Amino acid sequence: MAHQGSFEKDGKVLEALPNTLFRVELEDGSVVLCHLSGKMRMHFIKILPGDRVRIEMTPYDLTKGRIMYRYK
Amino acid sequence: MIDYKTPEQIKVMQHGGHILAVVLNEVIEAVVPGITELELDVLAEKRIRELGGEPGFMKVAGYHHTTCFSTNDVVVHGIPSKYKLQPGDIVGIDCGVYYKGFHTDMSESKRVEQKGEKKDDVDKFLEIGKHALNEAVKVAVIGNRIGHISQTIQRIVEKEAGYSVVRSLIGHGVGKELHEEPEVPGYLIGNINRTPKLIDGMTIAVEVIYNMGKPDVVLDHDHWTIRTKDGKLSGLYERTIAITEDGPLMLTK
Repeated sequence: MAHQGSFEKDGKVLEALPNTLFRVELEDGSVVLCHLSGKMRMHFIKILPGDRVRIEMTPYDLTKGRIMYRYK
Repeated sequence: MIDYKTPEQIKVMQHGGHILAVVLNEVIEAVVPGITELELDVLAEKRIRELGGEPGFMKVAGYHHTTCFSTNDVVVHGIPSKYKLQPGDIVGIDCGVYYKGFHTDMSESKRVEQKGEKKDDVDKFLEIGKHALNEAVKVAVIGNRIGHISQTIQRIVEKEAGYSVVRSLIGHGVGKELHEEPEVPGYLIGNINRTPKLIDGMTIAVEVIYNMGKPDVVLDHDHWTIRTKDGKLSGLYERTIAITEDGPLMLTK
């Protein structure tokens, strides 16, 4: 059975929660609970509220995402 | 996390894949004008059980059939209905078998017989998909990446033939779950070197899902079936393969 692929979206971090979870607001206004990707954890990249980030999401759960990149 | 299979597990999947290939080929042979999608679905279920397997799709939450029938402008996930197949229709049959704890997934498209043997654009459309799948399997060797598979499918379907690869649906890893990591898109996303490496023990379902017209798809009113947005035809081919030291091993054969 075919599977729906994950996609990327840009958003702005609203708040930082415990355990490197972040609330991110997407361009269309929806708010997504995101965690930090392993690569960013490994390289100690800090994310603060107000940062613009790129997140990866799955069509199977539109409330969760993974932060993949922090824009400068 | 990608689940790499041991040679013993791959042998089990090979057996399951063989059951699936035998049954799906029988169903394809049984495609004649006038037969309903539901009759073919029931035939598939009966044969799978006779050969010792279980319909894999019945393990999907909310799905109660053995196959997905994607006729004409239906891209994937078509629910088998009482619709009688008409001469000239193209039907994409997707089926899965669960055997001894492992899934295998396979799809094939067929044109329902029509009067006159003249080959037309639609036959060419289906041939390209089959060709893309065969070429994609050839590049699935250790040392390459998922991106090489994606690139091959995209090159043959889009650049060489002028059709379009559906963006929102992808191939996938296969094993204890029907859909596992990694994602195997039919088009290259980003840098090829950032896609997962093909490693011994990987079992993936390579899917060629493509449209005659634009790649956009829409969800039908039943919130399950996916159709082409422009109403043009869609083709579907899929095989489950294992990556081994001796090259790609076709499990659904």
